[in-house]
Amino acid sequence: MELVDVWNVLAVGLVRGGLYAQMALMLALVLGVMSIISMINGELYMIGAYVSYFAFTLFGLNPILSIACAAVATFLVGALIERGPLSMMRRRAGEDWYLNTFLLTVGLSFFLKNAAMLLWKPTYRGIRWYWEGTVSIGSIGISIDRLVALGIAALTIVALQLFLRNTRLGRAIRAVSQDERGAMLNGININTIYTISFGLACMLGGIAGGSMLSILPASPYMGTTPNNYAWLVVMLAGLGNISGAVVGGFIIGIVESVAFQFFGEGWPNVISFIILIIVLVIKPSGIFGTSVKGVWEQ
Amino acid sequence: MATAEERSKEKSLASDRIINLGYLPVGLFFVFLGVAPLLIKDEYLRHLFVVGLLFGAQAMVSDFTVGFINLSNFGFAAFFGLGAYTTGLLVTNFGVSPFIGVIAGMLMAGLLGLFTGALTMRLRGLYVAIMAWFMALALQSLTLVLVDVTRGAWGLFVPPLFESTDILPYYYTLFVITLVIYIVIKLVINSRVGLAFKAIGMDVDFARASGVNPTRYKMIAFILSCAFAGWLGGFYAHFIGILTPDLMGTQHTVEVLALNVIGGRGSLWGPLLAAFLVIPPFEYLKSLMEVRLIIYGLLLVLVMVIYPAGMAGVIWKVGELLKLHKGATYFGMEDR
Repeated sequence: MELVDVWNVLAVGLVRGGLYAQMALMLALVLGVMSIISMINGELYMIGAYVSYFAFTLFGLNPILSIACAAVATFLVGALIERGPLSMMRRRAGEDWYLNTFLLTVGLSFFLKNAAMLLWKPTYRGIRWYWEGTVSIGSIGISIDRLVALGIAALTIVALQLFLRNTRLGRAIRAVSQDERGAMLNGININTIYTISFGLACMLGGIAGGSMLSILPASPYMGTTPNNYAWLVVMLAGLGNISGAVVGGFIIGIVESVAFQFFGEGWPNVISFIILIIVLVIKPSGIFGTSVKGVWEQ
Repeated sequence: MATAEERSKEKSLASDRIINLGYLPVGLFFVFLGVAPLLIKDEYLRHLFVVGLLFGAQAMVSDFTVGFINLSNFGFAAFFGLGAYTTGLLVTNFGVSPFIGVIAGMLMAGLLGLFTGALTMRLRGLYVAIMAWFMALALQSLTLVLVDVTRGAWGLFVPPLFESTDILPYYYTLFVITLVIYIVIKLVINSRVGLAFKAIGMDVDFARASGVNPTRYKMIAFILSCAFAGWLGGFYAHFIGILTPDLMGTQHTVEVLALNVIGGRGSLWGPLLAAFLVIPPFEYLKSLMEVRLIIYGLLLVLVMVIYPAGMAGVIWKVGELLKLHKGATYFGMEDR
């Protein structure tokens, strides 16, 4: 294997890792704060990609603005979903909350996916590039778009962490994820927090979809695989660990890319899954899972 | 307002919502299922009966874990598909009799259930559900990839169960399978094991203190349910004649779980009934793929938002209003 190949595999793996890390974080946020088994991650990612595509091609906005459009749009969609079906269900269903949220979000995901299919047909809508050109380091090169996508992924992840740690709202979100009743007693409006955290999580997906548009073109079913991998990452990293999810995302991204290089299509799924089984046999709580109860294990 | 903490608490089970109408209505329902296809001469309607019963039986099997040990199986299709592919491969490659193949499929699905459960059952229920889902994804990709063995997306041709093309023998084979599964589940629920389920449902810690091992009992139910799924899968293989990896897709699982929920959790007959009401229109819409899935998605969302107790819950409510339930029980209602 040439050095260039190694580099290529690594570059693809890192970019995909960035995607999975974002998606896993999205999942982590929703599961952590609201205990929702979310299956619509992929569809928000798809919506983000479509919004960016239309903003970029139809309205000719500049790349950063198109991605920002995707972020705003997905935040709104997320807030709508939370305000609508999710909060309605929360008022009703007491038992079997996990199964209920799973089915509700799966239903929404079917709906969104196939609505997109009806609206936009199964054609791929991609762009050739946001920014033309490649950066070369020695003999090896990487396109600016990949670099920027990776940068945006890193930026959103860091920004989210800072937001959760340092702002009033972020601290409120963490408080709710740790102890709802306590948070309520301290005057935090839980419903607002729910809406904001769900919107934020959806926004993560939207940004991922928008920033990777030139690498992964928009299509109705594009979200299925990232959603599966996001769950795999979260299980692998351990349910209680948010920064573990980020590391896990990159691990799985690289594993996927390497497996694809050596075995071809279809195998990355199988191999990632085998790795997950091995990890779970050795350490049931996941690689980074600790015996200390994390935010999700409350 | 219930906090997420309370919502996500693993409230086992059954004891809260076993909707038991007594034996008469359920018996009548089974008699109807047994007689109706004889009276119907239309071949297409008979076909709908088989498909409805097939999905109904799957939803019922899924209800055994969802309704009684509060464990949703997001990988139901994996066990169904494994059963189907096991018998398919055995029959085509080794010339085994389909009847033995189906049993082998059942055993394989049970083994996979044992494996999945052994890996994750000690953890929270969420892990089992997600792990089973990954099993389905991995098996699906494996069948896609191992083209030499499974023919991948080309589809594996499986010989039929009977020589004749008449659909009635298939219907009655499935009917007997469903009846056996129903009876076995009922026997388990009414046995000491079922008592343990109930004990775990009321208070896990007390149950533990009385010597009930929750993990063990959950395993029993989970493995049984997986094996049944494999059994139905084996039948499906010989009924439909061609197997594709889509069989293990998430969509299949969701269809089964949706029927389970629409029918009503913890009632066993509810999901069976739901299948007969929901599947025919969907079969009819089969050519309009997207529209069908959009309706499916909306239906799921609506049931979840409007009435999570499902049809069995509605029927129970109606019966309650009419004061029909003498001797019938809705556990939890009388205790509290």
